[in-house]
Amino acid sequence: MRKIASRSVAVLIIAVLVIIGLVTYIGKEYENGRQWALYFATFNSGSEGTVYDTNGVTLAAFNKQHNSFSPDGITRLSNYHVTGDYWGRTGSGVISRFWSSSQNYDFFNGTTQSQLSTLDLTIDSGLNNFIYKQLRANGKGAVMISNYKTGEVIALVSSPSIDPLDTQSEPEEGTFINRCLAATFVPGSTFKLITAAAALESIPDIEQQHFMCYGESEIAGVKIKCTDMHGEQTFEEALANSCNCAFADITVQIGQREMVNHVREYGFLDTHDLDGIPTNKGNFPLDFVGDPELAWAGIGQSVDQVCPYTMLRYVMAIANEGRLTEPTMVKNRYIRSSGDSEIQLVPKEDPFVSQLVAPETAKRMRALMINNVETHYEGEVNFPGLKLGAKTGTAEITAEAAHSWFTGFLDDEEHPYAFVAIVEEGGFGLWTAGMMMNEILHYAVNPESVISQTVTTTGRLESADTTGTATEPAVQ
Amino acid sequence: MLSDYLLKLTQFAVIILSAAILLRCFRSLLQEKTDRETSAYLRVGKENVPIEHWENLIGRSRSADIRLFGDGIGKLHAILRRSDRGIWSVYDIFSKGGVWVNGMRVPAYGMKLRTGDIINLGGSCVRFIYMNEEQREETEEERFEAGISVSPTVTLIELVLFQVLLFIEHTFTADRQHIGMIALAYGTLIVLEVCVYEAMRVIDRMGFEIEILAFYLTTIGVAVSASSTPEDMDKQILLIIASVMLFIAGGWWLRSLRLTTSMRIPFAMLSLGMLAVNILTADRINGAKNWLEFGGFSFQPSELVKVFYIYVGASTLDMLYRKKNLFSFIVYSAICVVALALIGDFGTALIFFATFLVISFMRSGSIATVLLAVTGAVLAAVLAITVKPYIAQRFAIWGHAWDDVFDSGYQQTRAMSAAASGGLIGKGAGAGWLKTIVASNTDMVFAYVCEELGLIVGICSVAAVLMMAFFAIRMAKNGRSAYYGIAACATSSMLLVQLALNVFGSVDMLPFTGVTFPFVSRGGSSLISCWMLMAYLKSTDTRLGASFAVKPLEVDDEFSPQLFSRFDDPDEENDNDSYDEEVHRIGKKRLQRTKRGIRGDESRSRRQENGFRLSNDGIRQHEKALRADRNDYRSGHRVQRQEKDFRRTARYSDEYDDFYDERSWKNTYREEDDR
Repeated sequence: MRKIASRSVAVLIIAVLVIIGLVTYIGKEYENGRQWALYFATFNSGSEGTVYDTNGVTLAAFNKQHNSFSPDGITRLSNYHVTGDYWGRTGSGVISRFWSSSQNYDFFNGTTQSQLSTLDLTIDSGLNNFIYKQLRANGKGAVMISNYKTGEVIALVSSPSIDPLDTQSEPEEGTFINRCLAATFVPGSTFKLITAAAALESIPDIEQQHFMCYGESEIAGVKIKCTDMHGEQTFEEALANSCNCAFADITVQIGQREMVNHVREYGFLDTHDLDGIPTNKGNFPLDFVGDPELAWAGIGQSVDQVCPYTMLRYVMAIANEGRLTEPTMVKNRYIRSSGDSEIQLVPKEDPFVSQLVAPETAKRMRALMINNVETHYEGEVNFPGLKLGAKTGTAEITAEAAHSWFTGFLDDEEHPYAFVAIVEEGGFGLWTAGMMMNEILHYAVNPESVISQTVTTTGRLESADTTGTATEPAVQ
Repeated sequence: MLSDYLLKLTQFAVIILSAAILLRCFRSLLQEKTDRETSAYLRVGKENVPIEHWENLIGRSRSADIRLFGDGIGKLHAILRRSDRGIWSVYDIFSKGGVWVNGMRVPAYGMKLRTGDIINLGGSCVRFIYMNEEQREETEEERFEAGISVSPTVTLIELVLFQVLLFIEHTFTADRQHIGMIALAYGTLIVLEVCVYEAMRVIDRMGFEIEILAFYLTTIGVAVSASSTPEDMDKQILLIIASVMLFIAGGWWLRSLRLTTSMRIPFAMLSLGMLAVNILTADRINGAKNWLEFGGFSFQPSELVKVFYIYVGASTLDMLYRKKNLFSFIVYSAICVVALALIGDFGTALIFFATFLVISFMRSGSIATVLLAVTGAVLAAVLAITVKPYIAQRFAIWGHAWDDVFDSGYQQTRAMSAAASGGLIGKGAGAGWLKTIVASNTDMVFAYVCEELGLIVGICSVAAVLMMAFFAIRMAKNGRSAYYGIAACATSSMLLVQLALNVFGSVDMLPFTGVTFPFVSRGGSSLISCWMLMAYLKSTDTRLGASFAVKPLEVDDEFSPQLFSRFDDPDEENDNDSYDEEVHRIGKKRLQRTKRGIRGDESRSRRQENGFRLSNDGIRQHEKALRADRNDYRSGHRVQRQEKDFRRTARYSDEYDDFYDERSWKNTYREEDDR
């Protein structure tokens, strides 16, 4: 038996390993418990709250008994990426964000909650509905509209979306990705806005230079293809033409170091947050790549990646003389702590304003973008009744497919909106994203002006039920 | 508001009771003195060496149970083994010097011993003596009795309180319609444990800690069921009753070592048959086809095979040394593991493999075997991953669950989040959200417990299983038979590995395999098998008056062979001393004589032994007398076989001297050579 006793060390080893594992786990929980617990804080019962849009339409309501969304199917669908859901399928909705922030965590008690939290959003759910229908008709994509004076985001739509109550059908791939905040795309020609601003700041005689375009040019032996033969152009014309040859030349003139500095300065390499919801970082070649690659990067190809939200921020700054009012979609937030009967308005901090772009540069860029529309996008024809400055982008991702970008702002005191739109694999920027934005902007400025909506939508949209009560989805 | 405070208060009380129950079990299981039982002893010279197990290795080695340093005694020389009925036998385990009893060579299947028999171990002689009733009672009185210093009654009361308080927690959260059934479930538990306890008291068994720990874990399991599937409580109640019944039946079965070991092969066949039926008939549920339907109950054969696996795998000490190879066990294990892999139950296959490692190490003591097995398994695993890519997928997410919260990290991330949000105290039974996630009450049950009952109770539930393991380790050196020791150690490692896979799998520290947490996870087959495994732990508990699965030491009258009047009282010094001396010297002298290799010159060597005279003939006469006694003593049908044995050995003993001398001389020669 002594033999057996000495061999029982095998069990001892296992037991010791289990103890080590358990201690490690306790350590890990002590260290990361807050993140873990608050990630799915929406699951915790006891929280109460309501989410309203800017017009007082209820987007979501939750309390101890049940969780619900808007009774209107299309509203649930188009605002899904604003609200998120109660079971955390998308991490970027206000429900997840503010529900978890209304909870406390400590190692001893775990999560403690019981705050009531009411949110008044700046989002216009009617506008979102309209945008979603337009966007869905074009496929996948994202549209954001914000007020560049106040920073309020009035529309945020990502397609495809899902009815949060629809827990049965298999969601389309990428449904739960908020394309406005949590995705990056090849920027294509929209990136020329950044290159142009960088040129204005780092090349003193840029406005005096002339650029020749023969349909293609060579940088250190590598061909840069252009969309057309633009001939001799000024800087202004080059941007309006979206001339690749000219911008390849300009980028090389700026140099990689200066380019990177400016891309970073304008926030394209950083992660930002919209009311605490984190956004994705963009990408630009940081290590030395050589002139041809740099030229491609300067015209928005190469390894460039841009998050639509970051592009919107940049355009907002340009439209507002370089001053960026950080976007927000929460107008007011009310909380009631446990035990209190009074609902209190959470005092709002003044929106953070920063000088993202130098004022002179911003003013010039603004003029250039307005010039783009007037001279090249046939403003009065394509965008009747709207005064806007914009830039299109056709970002080639494969030989056949290209993302269709359209970003800009309304030069309108009453409706100071900046916008960004991207349609995945939508083709030519002006015709897909641009025309879609025309409809959307008309609706945003004056909903009654858009009489007919001739867009088709998916079957799911019509079949959306209207009970408004949420149930937990089945596990994948 | 008031109810909030009441709930908090109840939760604190539950935690304090948890800790108290475990602490009491810890004190009595792991801190109390554990004296060994003695039923015979060896007279070595003038000393009495108690024989403390039912299976004893004799030899010079440090790992021998009875260390003797006489001439000619090998490192591991012989095994002394006691049968269920109290009859001792001696086995020769391929020793150099051989083993003789009263001059008869001990054959491969051992030789029975009676009081006064002289065991000659390669030249050194000892006398074997059974304890008589009085002596046994004396030693029993000296032994530490279970259940005296830490009263199991108090622990039981704490457990009942724990259950009542948990039920109160449920009343805050459960649906009104389910409260009756939940109350019935807790009530059943209380009635069951009190009944078992009273029954144990009736048969004078006071070691109740293993049962307490098992009931404690089952209670937590009931709390999980009551919170996740309150509509199924009736099934759960029946399962708990069945489990406890099977536990008692199993423990009772293990009382008889002869019965137990004789059924190993039939049970091996039975378990393989069950796996075969499983493979052929079961439907695939959740990727693994490990369920059989039986009148509304789905049943998992692999869980029951766990119990049989240990039953078949454990082995008695004499078998270990007489049949050294593990071949048949390895084949059996391989079939089991492959069958489980075919079924698709990789978690259980892993548990079996770990248990196989523990059993084969405990049986062979060879790390090389273990390493070989691990190498083989790694190769098999690589093969499995290439054949079934979804296993590789599980490994791919391992450690990065938060990177893919909505697909492959779905369960782990939710488990971690829920576990953390419970804090130390928990949200209260039934108040968590993890129950909305599929399989949270089985695969992620640790997180479930942490969320609802708090991290402390979660740790306590792990500690309860750990405590069982430490108890098994502690008892291994005290056990009666290696069979029980190996079975208990295998049981505890099986439970620990299962627990580790469950707990650390669900919190992303190990790959997520979806095995159950012993006792706590919902699932009938698992609960039944865990309770049945407890019988192995009970059978190793040899503390005085502790376990119902351990027969009290009784000596069959027919076989309590106090035959020689002169040995009736071995403590009576006057006569026996000279005899012992004599016996000792015979052995010594013979060895000396043969060492010199002088066969013809016996008189000289005899003269050198000062004052001690016993001729070769004298020894022969003495041994013949002993043999004659043995003949007289034989009666009934047992005789026939012994007669045969005897004749066989007698032939040797006729040529005794020649044989002996030649053999010893050779040994000596070899020894000298070595020098």
